[in-house]
Amino acid sequence: MLTTNRPVFTELGTQAIEKGLADPQLSAFYESMMSGFGLVSEKIREHMPYLSLCSDKLDGFGPPPIFYVGRRCSQRLLFGEDWAMQQGDELRTPDPELEYASAEGYRAALDGRPYYGYARTALHFKGTTVDIAYERLILTLRPSPNSTRRFCAYFGVIQDLLELPRQ
Amino acid sequence: MHTSPLFLNHNYVPEHVQPQDNRLYELKAEVDAKNLTEMWDLILRADYQVGDAQDLPRETREEFYRIVSLLVKAFSR
Repeated sequence: MLTTNRPVFTELGTQAIEKGLADPQLSAFYESMMSGFGLVSEKIREHMPYLSLCSDKLDGFGPPPIFYVGRRCSQRLLFGEDWAMQQGDELRTPDPELEYASAEGYRAALDGRPYYGYARTALHFKGTTVDIAYERLILTLRPSPNSTRRFCAYFGVIQDLLELPRQ
Repeated sequence: MHTSPLFLNHNYVPEHVQPQDNRLYELKAEVDAKNLTEMWDLILRADYQVGDAQDLPRETREEFYRIVSLLVKAFSR
């Protein structure tokens, strides 16, 4: 897969969620996790199908490697079951340019600032070109109150997925 | 139980005895060694809604193992 246009990532800030401008399910996840001060509780269970989880290991220019892709997560819907179920080295977004462009959000979240933004890009995917627009929320969470371990949770919502005419 | 004279009784494994799942023990040992036990527990509780991986149905164990393999790789840098 290759991008035809440079991806556009715009940070909207979590104030947009608090003002009710974000997707309702994304907002519910944000409010649920913020009420737990970034600690994972039983509340995460209902959101797991929509999440992808990755480590806190930022290395180079890309985001951390993914280890979990929820069954109804936007990345699984976009990149497919084969991508989500692959067993190889590290699991990463199958588009290097998109991968690097997305890293800033993870960097912000790992610096302690939840990231909420909008992205738009055109992708070549399975022989067609798609124009995709999506919201994304990235939070850093801890598995338990005294844990030193951190991980990132990504909640993406595809707003628009339009197949572009072949050139 | 009647067995063939060619089949020795001490070699018989009753049908209900499941073979030990070595993959489970290997992965758990690797996870513990890398201080990822909390993440193992989190995935089990939050996604599979069980407290012990041995309680996972056989058909979902492979999926869990795949996630754990990625987990180890993702935190191994």
